[in-house]
Amino acid sequence: MKPAHIHHPEAAAAFLQDREQARWHDSAIWWVRQKRDTQASQLPEWEALRTLAREIKAHTLSRLDEYLVAFQENAEKNGVVVHWAADADEHNRIVHGLLAAAGVQKLVKSKSMLTEECGLNPYLEQHGIEVIDTDLGERIVQLRQEPPSHIVMPAIHLKKEQISELFHRELGTEAGNNDPTYLTHAARANLRQHFLTADAGLTGVNFAIAETGGIVVCTNEGNADLGTALPPLHIASMGLEKIIPRLEHLGVFTRLLARSAIGSPITTYTSHFHRPRPGGQLHIVIVDNGRSQILGDADFYQSLRCIRCGACMNTCPVYRRSTGHSYSYIIPGPIGSTLGPSRDIDQHGSMAFACTTCGSCSNVCPVKINLHEQLVLQRRRAFEAGTLKPVKKMGLLAMRFAIRHPALMDAGGKVMRKVVPVLPAALTADSAWSRAGRALPDMPSKSFKELWRERQQENPS
Amino acid sequence: MTSRDAILARLRQNRPQGPTLPDIHAVPFLGFEDRFAAFAGLIRNLGGEAVQLAEGESVLDHVRARWPDHGRLVDLTSANLPQPVRPHDWNDVDVAVVPGELAVAESAAVWVSHPDNTFRSLYFLTQKLVLVVPRAAIVDNMRDAYARIRFREHGFGAFISGSSRTADIEQSLVMGAHGAMAALVIFV
Ligand code: SF4
Repeated sequence: MKPAHIHHPEAAAAFLQDREQARWHDSAIWWVRQKRDTQASQLPEWEALRTLAREIKAHTLSRLDEYLVAFQENAEKNGVVVHWAADADEHNRIVHGLLAAAGVQKLVKSKSMLTEECGLNPYLEQHGIEVIDTDLGERIVQLRQEPPSHIVMPAIHLKKEQISELFHRELGTEAGNNDPTYLTHAARANLRQHFLTADAGLTGVNFAIAETGGIVVCTNEGNADLGTALPPLHIASMGLEKIIPRLEHLGVFTRLLARSAIGSPITTYTSHFHRPRPGGQLHIVIVDNGRSQILGDADFYQSLRCIRCGACMNTCPVYRRSTGHSYSYIIPGPIGSTLGPSRDIDQHGSMAFACTTCGSCSNVCPVKINLHEQLVLQRRRAFEAGTLKPVKKMGLLAMRFAIRHPALMDAGGKVMRKVVPVLPAALTADSAWSRAGRALPDMPSKSFKELWRERQQENPS
Repeated sequence: MTSRDAILARLRQNRPQGPTLPDIHAVPFLGFEDRFAAFAGLIRNLGGEAVQLAEGESVLDHVRARWPDHGRLVDLTSANLPQPVRPHDWNDVDVAVVPGELAVAESAAVWVSHPDNTFRSLYFLTQKLVLVVPRAAIVDNMRDAYARIRFREHGFGAFISGSSRTADIEQSLVMGAHGAMAALVIFV
C-alpha cells in the first residue's frame, strides 16, 4: 500500500537528491525501452499488430457485459467457480472466505497489480493468513514493506547492495555478497520451500478468453505455475477489462506483451488454465472497483484497453527521472496518471502534471491508448476540482491570461528577453520556477513568432 | 441485486461505441525460410538450446551424453508414465523429458499439454527441462500456433520458451528464478 499523500513534484525532488542513483534508474529503464524497440523493429507487421490489438480491445469494451457473461458460462462448464466483486472490499472478503473455508494458513501469490489496488495483503494478514509474494521483485519489496515502483519490474528503484543487505537480514545470505546470481538463487531456495508448504496459490490474470472460459497468466520466473501446480486451491483475481473474445486473439496479444514489456519475444511461461487440476479447485474473482464507471466516461474509457505491459513508463522521461514511488496511485507512469485521477482526482491530481506531453507513451503503447491526451484532460479536471497547490494554480491562471491576450504575451516576451540577461544570477537562479543547480537557458534575441514571420517573408510559399 | 447483476447493468448502461472485431488473418505475419534455425538462434539467448537428433541416436542417449552425472530422471515420453501421489513428489527431479506438441519459430516457445500427465508441477519443479518435439511440428508465429493447439491436460497448457529467468535485481539477467535452470529442445 502507498502512503496516503504523495505529491509528485516533492517526492520526485527527494528522489533526485541522490544524483547517481537517479541517473542509474533513468538509464536502466531506458535500456528496457531500447530492447523493446529492437523487438518491434524485427516485426514488419508491428504497427498492424498494434492496430489489431486496439480494435480487438475497443470492440470488446463496446460489449463487455456480453463477453463477461459468455466467459462465466464457459468457465462454469469447465468446473471453474466464478465470483463477482463490485469493489476492493468485496474482492478481499471473497478471497478471504475461500481461504478460510479451505483452512489455508499460507498463501503464495504471483504478481497481481489488482491485489495491490485492493490492498489484499494487509487484509489477509489482519485475518491471520501468511501471504508470500513470489515474484522476485515483489518479494523484495514485500520484505522491505514498500509498494512496487514499477508494474513489471517492482524493485527497479533498488541497487543490488540494498537487496544484498535485505537478504542478509531476512534470508541469512552472506554479508556483502552483491552478486545478482547468488542473491537470486538464495531467494529461489527460500521460496521453493514456501511453494512446497503453501495451502493455496493466488495469481493475477493477463487475459481471460470469453470463447473458452479460460485464463492466461504470463511470467518469466515460473512462480505463477509453481504456486498453482502445488497447492490444491487456485484463486485468480482479474479486473473485468481483461476479457478478450476468442482464443485466436492471443495470437495478437502474446506477440505484443513481452516485446513491449521487456523486449523479449515472449515470456518464458504463457500458461492457460481452463479447469481445476486433479484434486483441486479453481476460482476466478472478477473485479469492477471503479472500472465500469471509467467505461462510461468518454474522455477516459480507452484506458481500459491497457494490458499492463509497462512500456509507457519505460519511455516516459518523467517516470524514469522520478521513480514509481513519486506517484500517489499504485500504478505509476502515464497509464497510472490517467487511472489514478479517474479514480480519485483529489488524491491523485498531481499525477496528471507529471508529464511533458511529449506523447512518447502513446507511441509505444501496444493497444494505442491516447495516454498523453488523457493526461491533459485529467489536468483540466484537477484544476476544476481545485486540487492544485496555489503557486501552480496562479501560474496556470497567468498562463491562461497571457495566451488569451497575444499582444500582452508578445510584449512580455520582449521584456523578458531584454531583462533576464542583465539580471543578477542570484535572482534568476532561485525563483519559484527554478531549483538550486538549474540555470536558465540563454535568452534568444528574437521570439519564435518573429523568426517565423521573417522566414515567411524570405521564402513566401 | 447481486454484485454480478449490478456490475453487468452498469457495463450495459456505459457501453461505448466500438468497431467490429477485426480479422486477424487479413494481415501478413512474420515467416521464416528456416524455422529451426530461427528457433535455435533465439533460444540461445533465453537460457536454452535446440538440437536435431542425429541418425540412430535416442533422446535418452542424447540427454545422458549431455548430463552424464544427472540425478533423478523422469520421462513422460515413455509408454508407462510414472504417476506420483502428490504434485510435490516431483520436487527432487533433476531432468524431466516431456513431449512438446508444437514449436514456434518467432518466440522459441514449445506447447506443452500432455493428456496422460496428472501433475503439471513436474514441468516447473525439475532442474532441467527437456522438450521433445516432432521436426515437422514447427510453425512461424504465435497466430499459427494458436490455430493448432489443444488443451489436453486437464484444461491446462503452456507455451514454454527457454529457462525460468528474472532480471529483478538491477536488470541483471539470471537463469533459474523458480523453474528449470536449463531448457533443451530436441527435435526428432
Ligand atoms: S497503457 Fe499501454 S503502454 Fe502503458 S502499460 Fe498499458 S498497455 Fe502498456
